[in-house]
Amino acid sequence: MSVAAHQTTPRPAKPRPSPVLPIALVAVVAVTWAATSEQFGIGLDIGSIISDITRGAGILGELLRPKWDFLPQTVEPMLETFRMAVLASAIGCTIALPVAFLASRVTAPNFATYLADRSILNLVRAIPDFLYALFFVAAVGIGPLAGIAALILFNIGVVAKLQSETVDGIDPGPLEAARAAGGNRLQTVRWAALPQVLPNYVAYSLYTFELNIRASTVLGIVGAGGIGRLLLREYKFFNWSNVSVIVVELFVFVFVIELVSITLRRRLV
Amino acid sequence: MSAAAGTLARPARPSRAKRNLALVALALLIAWAVVTLDFDPARILKLPGGVGFVFYKMYLEHGPDWSYLPKSLGAMLESLEMAWIGTVIGAVLSLPLGFFGARNVSSGLVSNAMRQVLNAIRSFPELVLAVVIFIPIAGLGPVAGALAMGLHSVGTLGKLTAEVVEGIDPGPVEAARATGAGPLQVQRWGVLPQVMPEIVAFWLYRFEINIRASAVLGVVGAGGIGFLVQQTIAFKRFPLAGTALVVVIAVTIVVDTASGWLRRRIIQGSEAKGQGELVEQPELIEAA
Repeated sequence: MSVAAHQTTPRPAKPRPSPVLPIALVAVVAVTWAATSEQFGIGLDIGSIISDITRGAGILGELLRPKWDFLPQTVEPMLETFRMAVLASAIGCTIALPVAFLASRVTAPNFATYLADRSILNLVRAIPDFLYALFFVAAVGIGPLAGIAALILFNIGVVAKLQSETVDGIDPGPLEAARAAGGNRLQTVRWAALPQVLPNYVAYSLYTFELNIRASTVLGIVGAGGIGRLLLREYKFFNWSNVSVIVVELFVFVFVIELVSITLRRRLV
Repeated sequence: MSAAAGTLARPARPSRAKRNLALVALALLIAWAVVTLDFDPARILKLPGGVGFVFYKMYLEHGPDWSYLPKSLGAMLESLEMAWIGTVIGAVLSLPLGFFGARNVSSGLVSNAMRQVLNAIRSFPELVLAVVIFIPIAGLGPVAGALAMGLHSVGTLGKLTAEVVEGIDPGPVEAARATGAGPLQVQRWGVLPQVMPEIVAFWLYRFEINIRASAVLGVVGAGGIGFLVQQTIAFKRFPLAGTALVVVIAVTIVVDTASGWLRRRIIQGSEAKGQGELVEQPELIEAA
């Protein structure tokens, strides 16, 4: 033993464990307990859910037997969802491009513009899409217009945020070159910044298009047009076999669009 | 013209046929959407007026009704609790599932199967899961909403976890194996410490998303602030709706800021001064 001790270097002292981890763990458990409890929280009782799990069985049985005769009736609302997504993406992403350049330190004309743009963007992003939809339904009535308006704001929030962060990370070389060649601010952005971020911009636009299709269920439920309206109607009448037709259709639709969008994005970036 | 002799000839312009074709296709798609969309164009003109009217009714006419504040805060707390529980369910279940879904940790067959399962779960929005599965089981109320969010979160978080695990440095895994660690010990000491910061950052990000989602779930009767906002707007009680909206926006911004700060701390360590934005863009990772 003494021989081995001579040959090896002494073990380094064990680092003192940080108190952050156990404290965080206890806090998470405590909050979770409070949130699930009857008196402070929502009263989540795992036992009763397990014993009630069969209550959903009848409905699930109906859901598993979709009535495909219903399919023709879903085509028109589905197309409406698609049109809404196309228009909202087109308008929203167009507006988002200049907004993004103004929200990046690299291309904003001055700090005040940058700060104002950033703050507005943060506010726009804090409001979920469906609250916009509720607001616009109250303002212009039920229909796809309210949905498109809601999606446009939602898209500006997402694309401008992602795009401005991409602009923050561009290579400053071309910007300096454009400035040295006498380009004014707009020309610098157009010829030195835009070409660097255009592939990302197209990718983000495709991504928001996907999000718009996904949001359609939500929008329809508050009366802002599209397939969601039909889903809510069938749900309210307990037509589970029709609900499942819509759900399956939406699933396939989103899947195909995602596939196309991912393929396009891979080729771009 | 004589200068041309001294300079190199301008290179030929790269073909733009593909780009132009794509632009034409896009223009046609937009034109089709405009023409076939079934609505009265005159209503567009009403949009600014309508928005102004609702805003005026909510905040300017009598101001928002602050007596509604306690009720709004209570409902928002319920939304937060739903989002929290949904995130915890998602986090706890997705961690092991994500490991099974990573090609370098589990076998090829298992990881492929697990990825397909996670993708399938992910493609159903919370709202649909609540309507078709959890409201029938748990009844109307926040429990159904929390469970729906939990299930959806398992799908998204599981996929992200699997991707993070696939990106690890194999060195520590080999080192753990060389010291005689069993399969579980390799995961615990070789893999987990490498992936945990990123995974916890995703959990926090998911919590932010779930707060927004929990607002939506209220509309189908799954609890939270969404129900309040929808009812007050439906019955044109705009000052009440105005108060509830302020609560939603304020709480969302506060939680986003706190969570964003924590995520930066976790990813970049304590040296980060909290100024720079996160390098990675979770929205995109989520979508990919």
